[in-house]
Amino acid sequence: MTEMVLGGRRAFLRSACKHCLGMGALLPGLPAFAQGVAAVDSAGMPLPAERFSRPALETDEGGLWGMMDREETRLRRSPFVVRDAELGKYLQDLVCRLAGDHCPDIRVHVVRTPLFNATMAPNGMMQIWTGLLLRVENEAQLAAVLGHEIGHYLERHTLERLRDLRSRAAFAQFIGMFGLVGAIGQLGALAGAFAFSRDHETRADRLGMRLMKRAGYDGRQAAQVWDNLLGELKITGGEDVGKRSPMMATHPPVETRRDELLKLAGDAPGSTGAEQYQQAVSRFRLGWLQDEIRRGQFEESLVLFNRFLSRNAQDTQALYARGEVYRLRAGQQDLQFSLDDLTRSTALDQAPAEAFRALGLVQKQRTDGPAAVRAFEKYLAVAPEAADAGLIKNYIAELTP
Amino acid sequence: MKKILIVLVLAFLSGCMSITKVEGEQVVNNRMAVKVTDAWNKVSAPGTQQPFDMWTQEGLTLDHLRLWAAIKPGQALLVRPAGSVPVGQKAARVPTYQSGMPLDQLVNLFEVLYSADGSMVSMTKVEPAVFAGEKGVRFEFSVTRKGDDVQLKGVGWLSQRKDELYAATFLAPKLAFFPRLLPKAESVVRTAQIKG
Repeated sequence: MTEMVLGGRRAFLRSACKHCLGMGALLPGLPAFAQGVAAVDSAGMPLPAERFSRPALETDEGGLWGMMDREETRLRRSPFVVRDAELGKYLQDLVCRLAGDHCPDIRVHVVRTPLFNATMAPNGMMQIWTGLLLRVENEAQLAAVLGHEIGHYLERHTLERLRDLRSRAAFAQFIGMFGLVGAIGQLGALAGAFAFSRDHETRADRLGMRLMKRAGYDGRQAAQVWDNLLGELKITGGEDVGKRSPMMATHPPVETRRDELLKLAGDAPGSTGAEQYQQAVSRFRLGWLQDEIRRGQFEESLVLFNRFLSRNAQDTQALYARGEVYRLRAGQQDLQFSLDDLTRSTALDQAPAEAFRALGLVQKQRTDGPAAVRAFEKYLAVAPEAADAGLIKNYIAELTP
Repeated sequence: MKKILIVLVLAFLSGCMSITKVEGEQVVNNRMAVKVTDAWNKVSAPGTQQPFDMWTQEGLTLDHLRLWAAIKPGQALLVRPAGSVPVGQKAARVPTYQSGMPLDQLVNLFEVLYSADGSMVSMTKVEPAVFAGEKGVRFEFSVTRKGDDVQLKGVGWLSQRKDELYAATFLAPKLAFFPRLLPKAESVVRTAQIKG
């Protein structure tokens, strides 16, 4: 087997639903489910009723399940998995409300990666990245994304993708013998294979919407997820990112998708579950914000943090995060913006220790020694074992007359 | 047919990394001299010229010592390979040195650098130190590598002189390799001297 095919298979396993971050347009026509008996809900749409049975090992689907089982075994040992019983139960319960009878077959794994994504493998392994948990505002928005992934699972899209990948891999292996042109051919073949088709995305979106509404959520929040994410994508992708980006190439245009989502959501009331969601993730949010800052993609992070603060101007963690990004970006006026945010953050209850550290560093840069020392001392009082305590103590000594 | 195969093999090999043994006094970017007491292997990747020298004892998946010298304001600490930005997209930011950066921001550049592939990075110790004859900082960090989940330990040194950045980082699996190889890396780093 060639390196390309090996790499391709590995990447295929890892990528799972890498390209599903958007919610696709909702075109008519869901196919009959390949397995199980389709029930019909009140809107006349087929909903899966029967759980999947494990496919025979000698079939391609059985082989795919086996590969995913091995990947899940690896994932279970991975240090990237967030092992927290309370958060795990909260997410598993949410998935169960969406998946209904399929609940026992779906296993949720929270993976520490600061990007917006969730994936669903055909054997029932669901991965939720912490970047997604940071970005969604409520339970309904998370349900929209997870419902979309469950939609792929219920329709067994990955199996179709694998079959398509096989033919593409053989093609790319052939053209790969001819240098650069071949390399470009490989990239194209693989990029195409890793993405679900537009049709798959559309069907998963439509099914996801049905699942979230059936669970009692406000369907309009699905459109909001996309609107929120678009702001970040525009930073590197430009205004027409939804039409041009290779990542979005398999998705319908953004405006169409949002409009279709809203149309399908209708005016039916539903819950957002904002309070429950904030409560479930509150213990982890500061760490996820710091992971976001560590990406070093300042403009994208500012879009995100501005959104948080437009919702709640007194959000002390978001004020710290935005102030820290301004400080690190160090552009024109950024020092003043940083000072404003960090001053506000540290004046609020439950300000993170890191906000005092960042404020001290800003004041030091502004050559306001006494203010810097006050902030540094507060930081060390709250976090005496901080990794950079040695450096901060040195700063205090330098700044103290 | 054999001739075609030979040409294909040579073309393939020409695209591979080159590895050369380094001994004695070495000069990084013509501006920082180090004395090598143990034998190290210098690794050069084809294509994009990176702004650092990269050495290894056991191979790049196990350990590396990177050395930066005379990095100018506005210069990135690594260069993305050509063609890595999709058509029509703006390139993502890369950690870039700027004039007058305080030490904590310089340390942050390396935190971002080692996080760039999705690895988890955590600073575990940051303290004042002298590097290449200048006042700077020594930092320790842990890395959980995204590609294979391996837990690594790292240490870095940096300082500035006349608006230029000088730095070194050493990284290896925290069990066995890091404690065994760190003294060798430190013995190189201790000898760093800025030229000119």
